Amino acid sequence: MNDEATTVVADLEAGIGTLTRLDAAAVDATVVVVEPTLRSIDVARRAIAVADEQRQGRVVVVANKVSDDDDRARIDEAFEDRVLIVVPEDPAIDVADRLGLSPVDHEPQAPAVAALESLVDALGLASV
Amino acid sequence: MKIAVVGKGGAGKTTTSAVLARSLGRRGARVVALDCDTNPNLGLSLGVGDSETERLLTLRDQVDEGEAEHAPTWDDILDRYGADAPDGVRLSVITRIENPEPG
Amino acid sequence: MEEPMPLADSSSMMRVAFVGKGGAGKSTIAGTFARLLARRGQPVLALDSDPMPGMPYALGVAVDDCPIPDDVVVSGGEGEPRWVLRSDLDAAAIVDRYAAEGPDGVRYLQFGNLWGHVVRLQKAQHAWSQVVAELDRDQWHLVGDLPGGTRQAMFGWARYADTVCLVVESTVKSMHTAARLLTLSQAKWGPSSLVLVVNKACDDSDAARICERLELPAAAVVPHDPEAGRGDRRGAAPLDAAPDGALAHAVDALVDRVVSLYSFGEEVAG
Repeated sequence: MNDEATTVVADLEAGIGTLTRLDAAAVDATVVVVEPTLRSIDVARRAIAVADEQRQGRVVVVANKVSDDDDRARIDEAFEDRVLIVVPEDPAIDVADRLGLSPVDHEPQAPAVAALESLVDALGLASV
Repeated sequence: MKIAVVGKGGAGKTTTSAVLARSLGRRGARVVALDCDTNPNLGLSLGVGDSETERLLTLRDQVDEGEAEHAPTWDDILDRYGADAPDGVRLSVITRIENPEPG
Repeated sequence: MEEPMPLADSSSMMRVAFVGKGGAGKSTIAGTFARLLARRGQPVLALDSDPMPGMPYALGVAVDDCPIPDDVVVSGGEGEPRWVLRSDLDAAAIVDRYAAEGPDGVRYLQFGNLWGHVVRLQKAQHAWSQVVAELDRDQWHLVGDLPGGTRQAMFGWARYADTVCLVVESTVKSMHTAARLLTLSQAKWGPSSLVLVVNKACDDSDAARICERLELPAAAVVPHDPEAGRGDRRGAAPLDAAPDGALAHAVDALVDRVVSLYSFGEEVAG
């Protein structure tokens, strides 16, 4: 884990239990994934508060399944002061999930895949 | 560089982790994708397939049940409880991220 | 494949727990189930052991942050659990004081939430499990919502249940989790009390695929309900956003199905 040449992407357990148990400053960046539902936004806000308090690096919010202006407004209002990536609702993701495939293999050009790939830049990793 | 991906179940956390890992890998980074979920299925979104995901899950269960030894070092964890995913990404399933052994 | 059979000992009230992958729709279905059961004139206590509670939204309870306070427990004595309920409190008193009042007369008890530090969460957990163990079996139907995934589901948290509803959507990940939950739960619950609920079904093939993979018949198939989905986004309970929608109808049929497993079923049937 201390190998600087390796980039570790840790998909934590659902919820923020694991995040609360991590040592302070254990990671260099925290990606908070949220859906445009009030309940998901609530969880994301709590996760951001924990990440900030525990100094878990740069926080980037990924808003998934954004389908219309109402969704967008809800997300913008909740995370206006954050680095935010908006991922459109995309049937390609649903189909990949149904088939158990990676969206990157199923439909590499899908809008949601392109939006998620921009996370590399948002994390400041474009040069790796 | 270590990146934690968090969120409510079903929000797209695993899809996000997988696309991030694969795009980093495609740009030439050495990437390790850690599945810290109690029910690991990052493998599916990374593209290792259903049966390989199932195999890793069984391995992880054995560790949890004490039938297999915990790997002593980080490299052992990657080696024993891992699988190769496309774009050079190495996937590993671990029970606890809180106290990972440094390699 | 075996059809569910009526439970042998089913004279007292129902104790139903909803499990499944996060995002599969457990809270949505559990909350709707609780309200529709209550509308049949039944006393319903909704139990939420998810540290990220989703049930308040699904029920339409106004307050979403209402954990059992941690001062309801004190340090346990020799041979007792780490934390025990204060001597002036019992399960009924806890429900009386701390269970929020929801629509259709449902009461809602939240075990704790993720704001708490680990110690506080432990206190809430001890309080919760004692309350659930001591509740009068003849007073309430229990409708429980567990956190997503497999960690909590089979480590004692669903012990109170005599019926387990496994909520599955038609993704490979959701089926993976369900297959695992099924294996874990078969040790305790026989086929008669494991109920498969297919959620967000787009067509008949969705349910067929899930049933085939899990080797279980579907007790209910809940179709994808766009109106309820839009309600979910703005925080409205499905029964308020789409009272006559496909989701409401399918869950009502699930209530019928589950009550039929109990000997009092005919009195409660819709």
